[in-house]
Amino acid sequence: MTPVHFSFSSAFTLGLMGLAFHRTHLLSALLCLEGMMLSLYIALSLWCLQLEATMFSAAPMLLLAFSACEASAGLALLVATARTHGTDHLQNLNLLQC
Amino acid sequence: MFYVEILSMLLLVLGLVAVASNPAPYYAALGLVLAAAAGCCVLVGHGGSFLSLVLFMIYLGGMLVVFAYSAALAAEPYPESWFDLSVFSYVVVYILGLMVVGLCFFEGWYDGFWVVDELKEFSLLRGDFGGVALMYSLGGWVLVVCGWVLLLTLFVVLELTRGLARGALRAV
Amino acid sequence: MNPYVLTTLILSLGLGTTLTFASSHWLLAWMGLEINTMAIIPLMAQQHHPRATEATTKYFLTQATAAAMILFASTMNAWTMGDWNINQISHPLATTTVTLALALKIGLAPMHFWLPEVLQGLSLTTGLVLSTWQKLAPFALILQISQNTNPALLTTLGVMSALVGGWGGLNQTQLRKLLAYSSIAHLGWMIIILQFMPALTLLNLTIYITMTSTMFLSLKIMASTKINSLALAWPKTPTLTTLIMLSLLSLGGLPPLTGFMPKWLILQELTKQDLPITATIMAMSALLSLFFYLRLCYTTTLTTFPNTNNTTSPWRLKSTQITLPLTITIILTLMLLPITPAITTMF
Repeated sequence: MTPVHFSFSSAFTLGLMGLAFHRTHLLSALLCLEGMMLSLYIALSLWCLQLEATMFSAAPMLLLAFSACEASAGLALLVATARTHGTDHLQNLNLLQC
Repeated sequence: MFYVEILSMLLLVLGLVAVASNPAPYYAALGLVLAAAAGCCVLVGHGGSFLSLVLFMIYLGGMLVVFAYSAALAAEPYPESWFDLSVFSYVVVYILGLMVVGLCFFEGWYDGFWVVDELKEFSLLRGDFGGVALMYSLGGWVLVVCGWVLLLTLFVVLELTRGLARGALRAV
Repeated sequence: MNPYVLTTLILSLGLGTTLTFASSHWLLAWMGLEINTMAIIPLMAQQHHPRATEATTKYFLTQATAAAMILFASTMNAWTMGDWNINQISHPLATTTVTLALALKIGLAPMHFWLPEVLQGLSLTTGLVLSTWQKLAPFALILQISQNTNPALLTTLGVMSALVGGWGGLNQTQLRKLLAYSSIAHLGWMIIILQFMPALTLLNLTIYITMTSTMFLSLKIMASTKINSLALAWPKTPTLTTLIMLSLLSLGGLPPLTGFMPKWLILQELTKQDLPITATIMAMSALLSLFFYLRLCYTTTLTTFPNTNNTTSPWRLKSTQITLPLTITIILTLMLLPITPAITTMF
């Protein structure tokens, strides 16, 4: 395991753990998702840089485009939640619990 | 150079710790900015100057501005920073966990820089410039799909955020 | 919703699933999954009431997390093994992560908590799309990686899903949550057989999609989302009420109906593979599911709604909804069992 491999894996895992364990705000959850996407971008870029796989270096760009789409959808959901629930606290999303 | 590399990797991970430890979004966005800047440094150190530029311009310049703007809308009188007890305990737990995992893998670590690029001093263009440009020629259909998704996202955002009749946007 | 926007969204739903079906590269498959998620989000939040928004938010968070985990696992695989092919994924950590991520995406048992809540917040049409079409793309990936995943993990997921799907539905009065738990239980049956005979998984998926489409379409015609409103169905649409009872029994897997076929074949294959204990647990967990299907049957057809003697029965208006899809799926739901020999020769 190289230091690079360790750093982006642990960055992704940290983002995932932060998203899964304890979130107060919906915005923090979206920021965690963005952190995961950031570490994925770095992972894909480093893969094609280290292996000199020139053809593959378009992949991080595609990933960035898709994660931008995802981020904008998440922020739109933030706006919609703020409209309907009056707040973005994740605790308030409890209308549908069993 | 080697130390700068290691330092920026460390900063990348620490930035994610800052995001993951559940501070107020205000500070979490700051942590993500730190992580993205460190990621740019890592990419430059590995020779991906164009990818690093894209990360800097699109990620830091585009997306994070929106996130920071949304976080700044948060009506929190006392946002939790990393030095409040609840957040700080998360920071400590995450960093300890990282150290334990890192020590577990410590024996198996080998030198990370296996870039075999003997012509580095003689080439004007790095591979990633050409590789990204290949998206316009060989990856034509993927480009079309990407454009379609951006159009789709436009509609998604419009449909989700519409609704003047459903009340004004209140404090986030 | 504007028809142009609706067309764009539905075309994108098709595009996402097709992209995942057609790809052999993990990145492209991930792109297809993302398109699928993005395209269904405005359909889910169409009504803009708080429950719909909440369900959409929960769906978005789970699906985005699962998609990111899939891409991360494939990146790990590429870093260690250097291969981006979907069916060549071989690093044990990567296969486990990707299996768990796909389980999160379709809602298998330890990761199932979003499914009943999300389904409860949607309209019946969107719920139908969510529980049929949205399952196809993850299943395309699951079937491709089925030979490389950890068998113990698959068995655990399958058994837990069947049990949780049965147990969770026992206490529900909301029909969409019941259908969500029935979905979890059926997915458990699909996953338990995956490592031995992927063709049976596909067969079970097809039949499940037919049966659940029948249920959603007929509930949509009767516009009922709770058990007590089902009890009023008998004076309104007598034929449909009878057929609903039969399709519920088919979902539960009783013999003369279609739903018996996948359960029969799966149990047979499990015993052939010398796993009698797993087969017994699965059969017993089907009883749990059968209990709430039977309770639904009981309220729908075998009881009359408590009312006084001089109540007039409601005026029976001719329905203006299209019934052709329901007709087709209901026939398939009830009468496919006799073609079992023809299907077994195809394996």
